[in-house]
Amino acid sequence: MNDLPNRARSISSLRDFLELLEDSGQAITWSDPVMPEPGVRNIAVAASRDANGAPAIVFDNITGYPGKRLAVGVHGSWDNIALLLGRPKGTTIRELFFEIAGRWGDQEAQISYVPSAQAPVHECRLEQDINLYDILPVYRINEYDGGFYIGKASVASRDPLDPDNFGKQNVGIYRLQIQGPDSFTLMTIPAHDMGRQILAAEREKVPLKIAVMLGNHPGLAVFAATPIGYEESEYSYASAMMGAPIRLTKSGNGIDILADSEIVIEAELQLGERELEGPFGEFPGSYSGVRKAPIFKVTAVSHRRDPIFENIYIGRGWTEHDTLIGLHTSAPIYAQLRQSFPEVTAVNALYQHGLTGIISVKNRMAGFAKTVALRALSTPHGVMYLKNLIMVDADVDPFDLNQVMWALSTRTRADDIIVLPNMPAVPIDPSAVVPGKGHRLIIDATSYLPPDPVGEAHLVTPPTGDEIDALSKRIREMQLGALS
Amino acid sequence: MTTTVCGRCKSSGAVTDFQGRQDGAVVWTILRCPTCNFSWRDSEPARAIDPAVRSADFAVDAGDLQRYPKILQQ
Repeated sequence: MNDLPNRARSISSLRDFLELLEDSGQAITWSDPVMPEPGVRNIAVAASRDANGAPAIVFDNITGYPGKRLAVGVHGSWDNIALLLGRPKGTTIRELFFEIAGRWGDQEAQISYVPSAQAPVHECRLEQDINLYDILPVYRINEYDGGFYIGKASVASRDPLDPDNFGKQNVGIYRLQIQGPDSFTLMTIPAHDMGRQILAAEREKVPLKIAVMLGNHPGLAVFAATPIGYEESEYSYASAMMGAPIRLTKSGNGIDILADSEIVIEAELQLGERELEGPFGEFPGSYSGVRKAPIFKVTAVSHRRDPIFENIYIGRGWTEHDTLIGLHTSAPIYAQLRQSFPEVTAVNALYQHGLTGIISVKNRMAGFAKTVALRALSTPHGVMYLKNLIMVDADVDPFDLNQVMWALSTRTRADDIIVLPNMPAVPIDPSAVVPGKGHRLIIDATSYLPPDPVGEAHLVTPPTGDEIDALSKRIREMQLGALS
Repeated sequence: MTTTVCGRCKSSGAVTDFQGRQDGAVVWTILRCPTCNFSWRDSEPARAIDPAVRSADFAVDAGDLQRYPKILQQ
């Protein structure tokens, strides 16, 4: 385990990553009999309580699904994310944030192609009498979900109007509700790449074929959820960010897919049709409503021998969803802010996909932090998501909530907050005035600078920096060592 | 005991999509309501699937399916 960066770069599949997690005490197998409901949910929620150290859990004895395997919590803790990034367990969230922020534009993509006949994902193939329930050990993720959901699918598609363009292939995570043995609905919005492609296919009356990848290279699940430009390939992006090659192959319906995924479901949009979908327990911790959503018909399924179905618990936080996307929500906002304001020192948008964000900044002048906050609201993610912004000084670590609370306690003046009424809002934010519209809050918890009155209270400056960080880790190790 | 009445919209006529087996015996059945698309497993706790005890907050009115918005309109 002395060569974690190389081991992380050599991961090419979910299986490789589960092996690495297991070697590190970060994956367990649940072999006691468990009922799909409520057993799987109960165990996944219990594991989610430990955001720092929860292991992935592989179930291999779910009642009614003999011989089938299900993995949850693969990205369910900061320790698992650290191992994916080649860092040891115990790496702080702040260190992981800078690990990712430092990788931007650092590496070239390494994409290779495997002939379909040699791709592990095509080891087993079904083209008729398909019943998704016979392949996937599904369970109701939250009690009042409208059905059985596939919550961690990376969906690949080609632009229906430009099908030969590699860059315009889209890979995104969308929630899928199984609608009978060989159909599923897909939830998206017009602003998402998939929403654009569905609208284009229906407008031009051309087919839209997709490949739903389940149980994937763990880097793809992280990076497919990152909003990047429409013409940027998520595969290239994931490969560059991992600093590692990605192996692709073709699905039976002609889409580039990961060669080492566990399961791929090939499907085609039923043009113009909509079916009732939802509710679904979503990331704000509340249910989405019932909607009529596009429906896809399954045309074939490929899978590895003895496949592992990977799914997620998502709902009221803290959940795997938060550790899966939190750092990749924060890092782009940081990079975009730094282009205008290099005084920004870190961005923590871990909470509910950035509904609350904490930004640390060196105040250039009195009131400057508010200017930075307004710029954050105009970043691509900020437009819809950054609802509550807490601005702190650069000497406050936004990933350490004790420090953030200190800043709120000692630097916030109640008349120094901004409420921006009637702004765009995420439709599923339960606090919205009406779905899609709500208020924004900026709390300036930075210190005053002249010409504001700065007072006589001079700060205590306890020691900080690498030496103290190292001491803190050593103390923790001595504490753990005392037990063994 | 498998019922074909939907726990969500109370329509009858649910169809069977799959049966889970253990040592050859059926241990549960997945059903689907063709009216409101609710899918359930007959082994789930009653509060999720039994119309007599399920929360009315999550009911669907089978007589008013027009009220649910259609996403992605041209």
